[in-house]
Amino acid sequence: MFIALILVVWAWAVSLSSPEGFELVKSVMTSHFAKFLAWGTITVLLYHLIGGIRHMIMDLGYWEELSSGNTSARVAIGLWVVLAVLAGGWLWF
Amino acid sequence: MVLNQASLKRDGVQDYVSIRATATVLGLYVLFILGFFLVTPEVTYEVWTGLFSQLWMKIFTLLALLAVAIHARIGLWQVVTDYIKCSRLRAVVQFLVSVVAFSYVAVGLFVLWGV
Repeated sequence: MFIALILVVWAWAVSLSSPEGFELVKSVMTSHFAKFLAWGTITVLLYHLIGGIRHMIMDLGYWEELSSGNTSARVAIGLWVVLAVLAGGWLWF
Repeated sequence: MVLNQASLKRDGVQDYVSIRATATVLGLYVLFILGFFLVTPEVTYEVWTGLFSQLWMKIFTLLALLAVAIHARIGLWQVVTDYIKCSRLRAVVQFLVSVVAFSYVAVGLFVLWGV
C-alpha cells in the first residue's frame, strides 16, 4: 500500500494542478489497467482498515477466546469480500 | 530503560499508541473521502479543487499525510524487523521508507499550498 501510495499521490497532485491535469487523470483512469490498480489498492486498504478496526476492538479486550476470535475473523473477511466486489462494481460499472 | 540515542522515539508503548492514534485519523479520512465520492454525483475539476481549497480540508489532508508517514514508518519497522535479518539491508530499507514517507508529506504540503 505504501508503494501504491506513489500512484495515488501522483494522481491527486496532477488532478489538482490544472484543468488539463484533471482531464489527464480522468483519461488515465478510463483504462482497465488503471482501474485494476485502483481496485487493488482500494481492496488492500479495505482489508487493512477492517482488520485494523477489529484489532483495536480486540485491544479493548473483546473477541479474545477461540470461538469469538474465529467468528470475528470470518465476519471481517466476509465483509471485506463484499466491499471488494462493491468497489469493483463502482469502478467498472 | 535503555534510551537509544540513534532514534527519536522513546519506547514500544509510544509506538503502540502512535500506530493507533494515526490509524484513527486515517480511518476517519478514508471514510470521509469515501463519503465524498458517494455523495457527489459528478466530481468535476471545480468540485475537486473546491474541496481542497478550503482550509479545514487542507489541514485534514496534511494531518492525514503526516499520519500516513508515522503509521507506515512504525508499521514497516515492525515488518522489516521480522523479515529482513540482514541488518545492513534492513537499515537501507528503513531509510528509504522514511525518505518516501517524508516525501509524501512534502508533496502534499506543496500541492495544498497551490490549491
